[in-house]
Amino acid sequence: MALPRFRQPSILPGFGPALGFTVFYLSAVALIPLGVLVLRAAGFGLGDLWSLATDERTLAALRLSFGASLIAALINLVFGVLLAWVLVRYRFPGKRVLDAMVDLPFALPTAVAGIALTTIYAPNGWIGQFLEPLGLTVVFTPAGVVIALVFISLPFVVRTVQPVLADLDHELEEAAASLGASRLQTFRKVILPALTPSVMTGFALAFARSIGEYGSVIFIAGNIPYVSEIAPLLIVIRLEEFDYDAATAIALIILIISFAALFAINLIQAWTRRRHGHVL
Amino acid sequence: MDLSIDRVTKEFGDFSALHEVSLDIASGELIALLGPSGSGKTTLLRLIAGLEYPSSGRILFGGEDASRTRIQDRRVGFVFQHYALFRHMKVIDNVAFGLDVRPGRDRPGKSEIRDRARELLRLVQLDGLEDRFPSQLSGGQRQRVALARALAIEPSVLLLDEPFGALDAQVRKELRVWLRELHDATGHTTVFVTHDQEEALELADRVVVMSQGRIEQADTPARVYDSPASEFVYRFVGESSRLKAAIVQGAVRMGGMDLGSRVEGVQDGPADVYVRPHAVELCEAGAGFLTGKVDHVRRNGGRQIVSLSSPAGGLDAEASLAAQIVPGDAVGFRFARWSLYREGAPLEAAP
Repeated sequence: MALPRFRQPSILPGFGPALGFTVFYLSAVALIPLGVLVLRAAGFGLGDLWSLATDERTLAALRLSFGASLIAALINLVFGVLLAWVLVRYRFPGKRVLDAMVDLPFALPTAVAGIALTTIYAPNGWIGQFLEPLGLTVVFTPAGVVIALVFISLPFVVRTVQPVLADLDHELEEAAASLGASRLQTFRKVILPALTPSVMTGFALAFARSIGEYGSVIFIAGNIPYVSEIAPLLIVIRLEEFDYDAATAIALIILIISFAALFAINLIQAWTRRRHGHVL
Repeated sequence: MDLSIDRVTKEFGDFSALHEVSLDIASGELIALLGPSGSGKTTLLRLIAGLEYPSSGRILFGGEDASRTRIQDRRVGFVFQHYALFRHMKVIDNVAFGLDVRPGRDRPGKSEIRDRARELLRLVQLDGLEDRFPSQLSGGQRQRVALARALAIEPSVLLLDEPFGALDAQVRKELRVWLRELHDATGHTTVFVTHDQEEALELADRVVVMSQGRIEQADTPARVYDSPASEFVYRFVGESSRLKAAIVQGAVRMGGMDLGSRVEGVQDGPADVYVRPHAVELCEAGAGFLTGKVDHVRRNGGRQIVSLSSPAGGLDAEASLAAQIVPGDAVGFRFARWSLYREGAPLEAAP
């Protein structure tokens, strides 16, 4: 594509008002609050920012937040595609109920989810009692953080992949089969590439949601500094200590890394889209 | 490879798509399955391919029962109406797909696969477009990629579902001629589905006319057109008019006039006369079988079609462009050729 021309004559009217409203809206809900954060951080020098950011406890919290989010998003990438597949391709009793349940993690207050997960994964809980003899402790460990994040970000991959899979032309699979491809080859070479853009979108959303998650995690994580303390919680702790500079610095770092990660995912998506022949 | 369809029935729940259909296809034949939508022609094609399994009956490939063979093992080249190309693959990878997915021991080397794909693209006249994506091709080009992809597996039969259905008239005509040439060059046994009679009559060695899950007639294009086996075939293939007639003691009478042919051994009663527009000769009022009134006159390219109403019913006649005919005229007509049917079945009429 050539450089975007700023405005071209179009049969669709309203470019001006539409863009104006979009910019206003985005500013009010996103850009200005984020701008204030950056402005506040600009108050202290790079050296200060660096020492705040490289504080051992902060680093541990950031590592846990991004690491656990990445693992959770990857787990949901696999199981989200599987769940979407089951919901689209098969008919079974209770399918609609299952379909509706997928959205529950969106609706449920995250604290409720956190407490429920803690209860069942505790060493004497329904699931925890079987894991404990195997030497697997979930509650108050990073594993617990991952489980909470998997739960709350489950719907993203399912809901982005589901409609694409439902729209996928059945003839593509028939064509692959007629050419001698096994089911596995068809899935790998024909279906999966068609789903990739939506899977990536779901993955990015799940990842982003996980980084920001707070409510459910703090119950199951136990919040042990250097072990199971997530970055959003550390921000709250710093705020309670009236250490606004540290809180701002951590927030800014999260913001920068998140933006970089999501931007990268978007670039990859645009690239796969072009490869799939969508001309944007 | 020769194909044999032996009393195949296909049911979808309560709906019966095919009733005891039998058909033999010789090796190297080019067969058209022609019929209106819902006639079962696509179902029959999908059964041959192995995309569906028959409810009863058998499908034989070269004498061997293939009814339960999976599509992967049948080696059929199937071309879909909407091409079903893999959008994320380049043209050459689409064509090479069937070779790429072969199990290790049967798979040719990478460079050999590419050479064969290139060769096929040359065959379908798409050399130079190897590295395009399907979205960068025109409809006709996509159809040819689909065909090259199907040919790559060296299919025992080539099956095409409405191959030209989505293309515009000009491209359609070109591809039709080209497909015939390709068939003559490669000699694959080919079956294609179409609802376009012109396509079927022009392209096929044999036309199989289907209606409501049954084969009405399987014959050469000329015989399907000239000697339709049933009233349905007469109506579906080519233009025709139906006129009311009666059989009285072996004589065919229409509007009180004797058509001059006799049918033997048939009970007296009503019958239908079918006639094609080009077999209707117009003449002076009173000089033909009957006299009709001209309702309207249409010009269709180089033809002039006159619609008449007569005591035996309405009919279309083809008149020479020189003929000065205007609505309201009274004209006589007679038939160069016609066919007689009673309750859908043909009656043999002889002079």
